[in-house]
Amino acid sequence: MLKHWYQAKKIVESEKKSNIEIDTSNVKKYDVVVVGAGPAGASAAYFMAKQGLDVLLLERGPFPGAKICGGTSLIAEHTHKLFPNFWDECQCERIVMQQAYWIMTEDSLLSTSFQSLKFTAAPYNRFTVKRRVLYQWLVDKAISAGVTFQCNYKVSEVLFDGSQAIGVQISPPQKKQFFADIIVLADGANSMVAEKSNLIPRVSPQNISLYVKETIVLPANVIEERFQLAYGYGSIIGLLGYPTAGFNGTSSIHTFQDSININVGMTISDFSISGIRPYELLSRIKNHPFIRPLLVGGTVVEYGASVIPEGGYYAIPEIVHPGLMIIGDAASLVNGTHGINLAMWSGFFAAQAAYESKKKRDFSAKKLFLYRTLLDESFVMQDLKANAKIAKLQQDLPYLFDLYSKIANETAFQVSKVYTMPKKAKRIFIFKKITSMQPLLKMASDIWKVIKVVRG
Amino acid sequence: MNQFDEQLAVIRFQPDEEWQHVLILDDAICQKCRAKQCLTFCPSGVFRESTEAKQPLMVLYKQCVECGGCRLICDNIDFSYPKGGYGVTFLEG
Repeated sequence: MLKHWYQAKKIVESEKKSNIEIDTSNVKKYDVVVVGAGPAGASAAYFMAKQGLDVLLLERGPFPGAKICGGTSLIAEHTHKLFPNFWDECQCERIVMQQAYWIMTEDSLLSTSFQSLKFTAAPYNRFTVKRRVLYQWLVDKAISAGVTFQCNYKVSEVLFDGSQAIGVQISPPQKKQFFADIIVLADGANSMVAEKSNLIPRVSPQNISLYVKETIVLPANVIEERFQLAYGYGSIIGLLGYPTAGFNGTSSIHTFQDSININVGMTISDFSISGIRPYELLSRIKNHPFIRPLLVGGTVVEYGASVIPEGGYYAIPEIVHPGLMIIGDAASLVNGTHGINLAMWSGFFAAQAAYESKKKRDFSAKKLFLYRTLLDESFVMQDLKANAKIAKLQQDLPYLFDLYSKIANETAFQVSKVYTMPKKAKRIFIFKKITSMQPLLKMASDIWKVIKVVRG
Repeated sequence: MNQFDEQLAVIRFQPDEEWQHVLILDDAICQKCRAKQCLTFCPSGVFRESTEAKQPLMVLYKQCVECGGCRLICDNIDFSYPKGGYGVTFLEG
C-alpha cells in the first residue's frame, strides 16, 4: 500500500536525456503541441486557439475517438459551462431521464431507480453520446478556432533541452519532430509518452481498471419498451455485485439511440490474480436471468476494451513540468463516473496557464503551475479529494461489493417472503440470517469505514 | 466458431504487417513462468500457448485492442502502441 503511494508521489529524478538527435534549425515552432485528440486534448487545443495561440493537435488514430470505447455519459452542467448550449451542436444519442443502480446476485436483483421529466428539458442532466461523435465535434470546434490537426501521428516521446520540454518525436513512418514552447500530454489512461519520457512513474495495476464492453444493436422502440423510457429518452444503469464475480468493480448499461452498451470492469491487478477472462465476465452478465431478456434479439456489433485510471486523488502524478502539462486521463483525473467532463475542464485550465505563460514568455514549471492551482481551486480536485479514500477502501475491503450485495438481496428476499411465523419471530429470524452472513461488529466497523470515507 | 471468436470478428483492425507492437522480451522467462497471467488477462486473447518448447507463447498482435494492460501485469511483455493509423478502430463508443 505504502509502496504504491510512495511510487506515485516520488518525483522522477532520472536524467531526461533522449538519445534522439534534435534538429531545431529551419523548423516551424508552434506555441503548443497537444498530444492526443480526446476530450482533454481537443478542449485544451480549442481554448488555446481561441486565445490566439498557434496550436498543433496530434492523434495516433485515423480519426478522433478511434482508439477508445466504453459507455459514455456527458454531464450537462459541466459541459454547458465550457461549451454553452452544446446540445444544439453535438449530436447526442439520448437525453438521460432515468438513473438506476441494480444490486445483483446470481438469482436476485434489488434496484433503486430514479426517473424524472425534470431531466428532459434544458439544462438537462446527462446525455449518452458516442465517443466518436463527441470527440469529432470537439476537434471540429478546435479546427475552426484555428488549430492545426493531424491524424495518424503517434508521438513516441517528448524532446527535452536539459529538463525543459521543447518538442515531440513522431514515430515511424513519419519520423518527424515538432517543436513548441509548451507540450500538453493528453494521451489517455495508459500514458506511455509521459512514462517513457520519465515524467511520471509507471502506473500501479491496482490504480487502473480494465473495462470490456459490447455494443448491441436493438430497434429504438424496443429499447424504450424494455427500459420503460419515454420516446427519445435514455437510461444509465449501474450494476453492482454479481457482475464482478466477487471482486470490487462495476458494470453498467448505457442506452444509445438504437443500441445498448454493456460494460464491466475491475482493477487490472484483480483481473490478473483472479484468472477470470474479461470477455467471459461480460458473457456471464449477459446470461444473467434478468439481463438476458433485455438483450434478446440484439446483434453484437462491437466488442472492445479500454483502461480507466481509478486510483483517485492519491494516484495523481506530477502534472506540471518545465514546458509541459499533463491533462485528462493521463493525469489520472477520473472520479467515479466523472471522466470526460474532468478531462475537458483540465484542458480548459491548461489553456489558461498556457496563455499566461505565453504572455510573459515564461515556460517554466513555476509559471505553468497556474494549471495545477486552477485545478486545485476548482470542483475537479475538491471532488477528487473528497473521494480520495475510496480507492483505498476498496482495496481494504475486497469483499465490499460482493458481500453487501448479497446481504442486501437476502434482506429484501426475507422481507418480501411471506411466512406463517409471527411478525416478531420473523424479525428475529431476519436479523439472525443477516448477522450469520457478516457478524454485527464486523458489519458496524465496515459501515463506519464507509461513513468515514464519505464524510471525507 | 465459439463465442469469443464471434466477439473478435466484429472488431475492425488495420493490422501492421511490418511491425509487431507487442513482444515477449525473453522466452526463457515464459518457460519458467507458472502463472502465465497474460493468457487469461488479455481481453482479446493476444497471448496463446504454443506447442513449441523454445517459444512457449504466441503473440497474436494483430488482434490487440490496445488497452495496454499486459505491460502492467508482466515485465516480460514489451507493449507499445501501433504506428499511427494502424491497429484497432472503434466506432460505437
